[in-house]
Amino acid sequence: MKKSLAVLASILIIFSGTAVSDEKPPIKYGLTLDYTKSYVFATPSVSQAIEDYRNYLNARGGINGHKLEILNSDHGNEPQRGIEAYERKKREGAIVFEHFSTPVSKAVLPKAMKDKNVLLQTLTGRSDAADGEAFPYAFPIAPTYWAMAANIIQYIENNTKDIKKTKIAFTYLDFPFGQEPIPVLQELQKQLGFELKLFPIALPGTDQSGVWSGIRRFKPDYVVAWSISSLHNIALTEMTRNRIPIEKYISVVWASRLDLKSFGHERAKGVKRVEAVATGTEIPIIQEILKMYDEGKGAGPRENVGTVYYMGGIAEMSILVEGAKLALNQFGEPLTGEKLKKGLELIRDFDANGVMAPVTITSSDHQGGGKTRIAEWDGEKWAPITDWEAAHTELVWKTIKEHSAKFIKENQ
Amino acid sequence: MFYRQAAIRHTSYDQTKKLYPIPFDKWLVVAVLLVALLAPFAMSGLYLNSYLLPWVIWSTAALSLNLLMGYAGQIHLGYAAVMAIGAYSSVHAMRLGAPFEFALILGGATAMIIGVGFGFTALRVKGLYLAISTLAVQYLVDWVLTHVPAIGGGTQATLQTPTPALLGFEITTDIGRYYLALGWCAVVTIFMLNVKRTGLGRALIAVREKDYAASVLGVNSYYYKLIAFAVSSFFGGVTGAILAFTFFGAVTPEQYSIDISIQILAMVVVGGLGSVLGSFFGAGFILLAPLFLNNMVTGLAEAYDFGVSRSVISHIPLILYGGLIMLFLLFEPLGLAKIYDNIRKYFLVWPFGFSRR
Repeated sequence: MKKSLAVLASILIIFSGTAVSDEKPPIKYGLTLDYTKSYVFATPSVSQAIEDYRNYLNARGGINGHKLEILNSDHGNEPQRGIEAYERKKREGAIVFEHFSTPVSKAVLPKAMKDKNVLLQTLTGRSDAADGEAFPYAFPIAPTYWAMAANIIQYIENNTKDIKKTKIAFTYLDFPFGQEPIPVLQELQKQLGFELKLFPIALPGTDQSGVWSGIRRFKPDYVVAWSISSLHNIALTEMTRNRIPIEKYISVVWASRLDLKSFGHERAKGVKRVEAVATGTEIPIIQEILKMYDEGKGAGPRENVGTVYYMGGIAEMSILVEGAKLALNQFGEPLTGEKLKKGLELIRDFDANGVMAPVTITSSDHQGGGKTRIAEWDGEKWAPITDWEAAHTELVWKTIKEHSAKFIKENQ
Repeated sequence: MFYRQAAIRHTSYDQTKKLYPIPFDKWLVVAVLLVALLAPFAMSGLYLNSYLLPWVIWSTAALSLNLLMGYAGQIHLGYAAVMAIGAYSSVHAMRLGAPFEFALILGGATAMIIGVGFGFTALRVKGLYLAISTLAVQYLVDWVLTHVPAIGGGTQATLQTPTPALLGFEITTDIGRYYLALGWCAVVTIFMLNVKRTGLGRALIAVREKDYAASVLGVNSYYYKLIAFAVSSFFGGVTGAILAFTFFGAVTPEQYSIDISIQILAMVVVGGLGSVLGSFFGAGFILLAPLFLNNMVTGLAEAYDFGVSRSVISHIPLILYGGLIMLFLLFEPLGLAKIYDNIRKYFLVWPFGFSRR
């Protein structure tokens, strides 16, 4: 009897052993987003994209056999809740995190650096985290606001006869997000000699009438706007009222198809934005994902697929997966935060499944090149009117270094 | 049985003035203190760093605001800004080479000076009007932090905190930071427990009940209102600094935003105005209930597929949370501390409950 039990037990052990070795442990991704407060204009699309991509990936065997597991929850844009979620997910084994909220990313950054966990912070958090030497574990991957501002100025430079006679109005939400590009713009003004005037919009930005009558008097050739989501509608309405052609409006990345809806898709023709990711549903990876929607397996409403926030999520996931693959191939199992960091830094000219300009990440450059392009709303979709490019990179990097040097000094 | 009152005699003033005349109360406090002291050794980093530590700090903040709102009856809607002043000043002071203890006091002092400055409005206006003028503190401080690089730290508006060192010993461990916060919490708690028994406390309460009646009694209500603003702002400033040094490790304007002001106000109101215990309950409820509810609902959503999107699931805890606040305040408008008080009073005479009627 005892013997047979022992045999049975050993058989069980062997079986369970093989079962374990077949199924590699999942890679855990701590995704804590703001579903309920400030970032709700983008969060549902980003989250939907990440979940869609995970399903797409896991159905095809995951990352070298590892399934990607997402630990998802809400932080309501509150730093202390973000920290709690970070600590909890760290304990559950997550090695890579995204919070998609500037206050939370800032609060988690020192902890992630200490724990050697990868912190993705696309378009949120400190911009100077692009400096991989100062912030080894933070990966903004997307172009910084400084790079976007520089690229917009480059576009304007390419499209005017004489940059010295060009008048540029910079209108921005009067808090750190909007104030950030100012030093770069002012430096470029010195170098190129265009005329620049700043028009701050007081928070919460729902009343912009004073700002736009000021802009009308300034008679700008271009209006560069650091504003978000539905506030663009207010800006465009005020522009129409002040008879400033809306073709002059160039927005930061935070403008999507849905954001223009209440102003009217037809009316908004000619509005421009800088973009870091391609949008639309023609891209092969999106076609594949749409097949899942045809089967009824989508993670959210179909009309979100292909919008700028959705594509941001896809881009980030593509880069993360690529980095994880490189890390597993180069440094072997098991995947840790340290290995993933090194893996991400091996990415060379990777176009995130056709969603981004080719991205190269190195141990010093976590921005990934900083390439953007300008797209114009044609009444139905955002049509790119320039190629991917990164302009004035020296100035951008000088600014990044200036800020990160301060951080290094503070931490000594 | 519990709260035994046998052998408690009121034969001298000293005995009557005791903080805890009933031994059970005293031992309860000692037990809680022991638990608080030993907790870091029994807890994982997760619960220590993201539950217990913030609870201790936010309780201290609620206590400090309770001095102003509960004792002196002056409403304050910009308390997070007062904490921000303390935090930023102490970080700057330490950067300029001041020792940590001195930086903390300096942070408190700066908050006190600015807090009293706004306290002057309290001499002229009351109630809702005072609420609005204290709201101005919040907006002014927010504006200064994001627009004055010398104070806020430039475009990122973030300053990393230097390592705190108490009497020359650097505090680098989680447990050390927790004890620092707990120590400050104990100081404020002891002050708050005792202030009611002093002339200052009685004067503040007189002002709260009716300021001109207090004047008739010879209590200078202007003076005591300013004292309340000063002491409360000092505590708030130091607490803000403690929050930055022990919990966040950095100061940013979002950590001291209007949302936080409202939350601290809610802690005081939900916990119980003028109650020391209530501040702890209120902070625990307002701060920790969203975390627990969120984890509970997320856990349930993972275990059973509800077939709804993530954003819908994320809003369920908010609904429950709002419902809970309403239920508690409907059940006992005087706050969570009063619920405890009711329970205590029940057991005070248990099993002879009929004697209360």
